[in-house]
Amino acid sequence: MIDFVNVKKAYPNGTIALKGIDLHIDEGEFVFVCGPSGAGKSTIMKLLLREERITSGKLTVEDQDLSQLSEFKVPYYRRKLGVVFQDFRLFPKKTVFENVAFAMEVVGTPRSQIARRVPAILNTVNLSGKQDSFPHEISGGEQQRVALARALANNPKVVIADEPTGNIDPKMSLEIMSLLIKINKIGKTVIVVTHEKDLVDYYKQRVVMLNDGLITEDRVGGMFNEEV
Amino acid sequence: MKRYNPFYFIGQAFEGLFRNGVMSFASIAVLMSLLVVIGGFTLLVTNIDVNLEQFGLINQIVVFCDDQATESEVEDIGIAIGKLDNISKVEYVPKADGLKQMKESSEVYKDVSEADNPLPDAYVITYEENDQVVELDYQLKQIPGIIKVNNRLELATTIENFKHGVMLVFVWFLAILSVVSIFIIINTIKLSVFSRRNEISIMQYVGATGWFISLPYIIEGAVIGIVSSVAAYFIEWYIYSYIERLVLTDLQMITFLPFADIRGYVLWGFIGLGVVTGVLGSMISLGRYLKQ
Repeated sequence: MIDFVNVKKAYPNGTIALKGIDLHIDEGEFVFVCGPSGAGKSTIMKLLLREERITSGKLTVEDQDLSQLSEFKVPYYRRKLGVVFQDFRLFPKKTVFENVAFAMEVVGTPRSQIARRVPAILNTVNLSGKQDSFPHEISGGEQQRVALARALANNPKVVIADEPTGNIDPKMSLEIMSLLIKINKIGKTVIVVTHEKDLVDYYKQRVVMLNDGLITEDRVGGMFNEEV
Repeated sequence: MKRYNPFYFIGQAFEGLFRNGVMSFASIAVLMSLLVVIGGFTLLVTNIDVNLEQFGLINQIVVFCDDQATESEVEDIGIAIGKLDNISKVEYVPKADGLKQMKESSEVYKDVSEADNPLPDAYVITYEENDQVVELDYQLKQIPGIIKVNNRLELATTIENFKHGVMLVFVWFLAILSVVSIFIIINTIKLSVFSRRNEISIMQYVGATGWFISLPYIIEGAVIGIVSSVAAYFIEWYIYSYIERLVLTDLQMITFLPFADIRGYVLWGFIGLGVVTGVLGSMISLGRYLKQ
């Protein structure tokens, strides 16, 4: 489903973020991408979201070569992805319901369908009673669940989470991770970029370790390598 | 078929306008000034043209034939004039018609009899190009039987020069004010875009297309254009009516187009120019932020 073949990425300022990585992720997989700061984790996110283009190599998502993807087609490609960020990135002046509905409005989903689907998604992330609340009225963990619900709104095949537990307490972190596992179990491919050792070790999923722009370990049921 | 809610785009546009109220107001003020100046110059030039036509100063020469010339000689003069370049129309005015016109123009001549008619036969010539009139004047003087060429060239040239001067100032004003207006609108929309950059990035991540993101800002630019145009229209109306009253009172020989005859052109011209400027400003300022 996702294929990095000898992918290199150099930024205009000369920084070489990825030095030639090979990574294959199958449909329905759950993958932790770990590593220290500057290892290249964020670059992988940016390449997958097509915020950045690869410098050389080949990156395909669902047989779509991202280096050949025109600017015009990027929004349509992104609709296949659900994205969750560390800082939630919710609209502060929209309610929980509206935040989730917005992702559907953007792609032109009919209102009747939005009205049906949003409560169901909120139920999936255990936020049924909060749909009329504003982001500042709910906890950090709940805000991240809203972000997760928004990521699921357009029924994406892949969910990418960038440090999803970075801004929330450990108990809520477990809840968010459990939700991501639950989402994976319903058939979504889930990629979680994180540096939280405890969580990675607890869930024993596939772990891809990055260091200095290279993959140093790729192990199913792996652990967070502290030495890196 | 995907259906989008138009009220979403309109609502977002007005939210942006009010969120950056001061800059929106500045944009409207500058664009409105631009439109008033453009409108003012256009109306001035139009009125100059109307008056030039009224006085018969535009592209007309009157030649008088020798009083002793026979009917056939006068006819030959007309034929000779017709053969010259740069001529679009030649109209024969017999001395009797000339006297009639003179009598109509002033009470002083009412008692002049046909026998005392001082006027010779004449031709009123309408020519095409003003810049070749000196040559035409020379050629006319060479035709036997023409005793006088009355070209009123000096007056016509003075007025034409004035018109060209007004046009030159107008073009410079237009260029400078257009650049200033677009610059201010660009900054207004940029502020609006900047304050919503997080929203824009979220929109991009959830797969919003460029036009979905830009439409509110384009509407914002168009609204600035429409509000400016309507305000400029009323200001222009007020100023024009004031000048019209002055002219009708003090300078009765000048023809002044009534505002009622031109209000449609002014309003739609303003709206067209205002909307184009507003939308153009929006599109320029959006460019960088819309990179996916």
